[in-house]
Amino acid sequence: MRIVGEVLSELFGMFVADARLTLAVLCLVAVVAGLVGTIKLGPLLAGGILLFGCLAIIVEAVAREARARGQR
Amino acid sequence: MDTIAWSVAAPAIGSTFLASLVEAVEAFTIVLAVATLRGWRPAAFGAAAGLGALALLVILLGPLLDQVPLHLLQFVIGVLLLLFGMGWLRKAILRAAAIIPLHDEDAIFASETAQLAGVTDRRHKSLDWIAAMPAFKAVLLEGLEIVFIVIAVGAGRGLLWPACGGALAACLMVLAIGVAIRQPLAKVPENTLKFGVGVMLSSFGVFWTGEGLGIPWPGQDLALAFFVLMFLAVGVATASVLRRPVVEVLR
Repeated sequence: MRIVGEVLSELFGMFVADARLTLAVLCLVAVVAGLVGTIKLGPLLAGGILLFGCLAIIVEAVAREARARGQR
Repeated sequence: MDTIAWSVAAPAIGSTFLASLVEAVEAFTIVLAVATLRGWRPAAFGAAAGLGALALLVILLGPLLDQVPLHLLQFVIGVLLLLFGMGWLRKAILRAAAIIPLHDEDAIFASETAQLAGVTDRRHKSLDWIAAMPAFKAVLLEGLEIVFIVIAVGAGRGLLWPACGGALAACLMVLAIGVAIRQPLAKVPENTLKFGVGVMLSSFGVFWTGEGLGIPWPGQDLALAFFVLMFLAVGVATASVLRRPVVEVLR
């Protein structure tokens, strides 16, 4: 049974290495989906928000970790 | 396969090859530790059992993929790829910036060997299955990531077989080199590979998520190349800006 727990924990860790990054990505996708579904946002703008949103999230996640380790 | 199809197939095969290389090296280090301490039999048995468990998972869950509508599949896989790829990219940037230490196969080999030696001291030598267990777990857990990557980059566009080919080639390569030299493959530039794969998977993630949401990407498949360039540029720039002296990291 322990091996099943380890497999599940590995699967969880694959997608939730950093909880805030995970949450931010899910929120971004939800916002883009909402904008595309409700106000029929154009492909260039919707795609741009998705791409640049992801880039901003990765920079923030790395900078946050760097700050946290710098303070230790 | 025409030029446009190759623009997606080549990154898919390349990503699965490189990602599998990283995962196979990690699994091989532990299998080698088992082989060094307890012989190749329990190591091979554990690794084969791990591969068998993975195959069972794929056989059981694989057919479910055909039941999911393509747009939904692309969306779900796209979001999972974003989470997985950006997780890898984040760690690779932190390592490239020397904020966290690099993955060290030699150190992992030494620690795994010491741990196994402790177990064999405490228990009787006939318990070979105990030695086989770390090899089984390593192959199963690292293999899970390979299976996910193959499915994620392959299923959205019917590229499962080419993606499988890329992964298989990497695993066979690691096995052949590893068995020949019988040492941890510490010289593999793991973080560079992880950086590259993180960039590729994040780009695929944006691409599939957009397709799943019904966003027709300008330039269609070629948009993927633009995403790769953007993630790469931002990743390299972030690592350069945050780079710390190595002495500070080792402290």
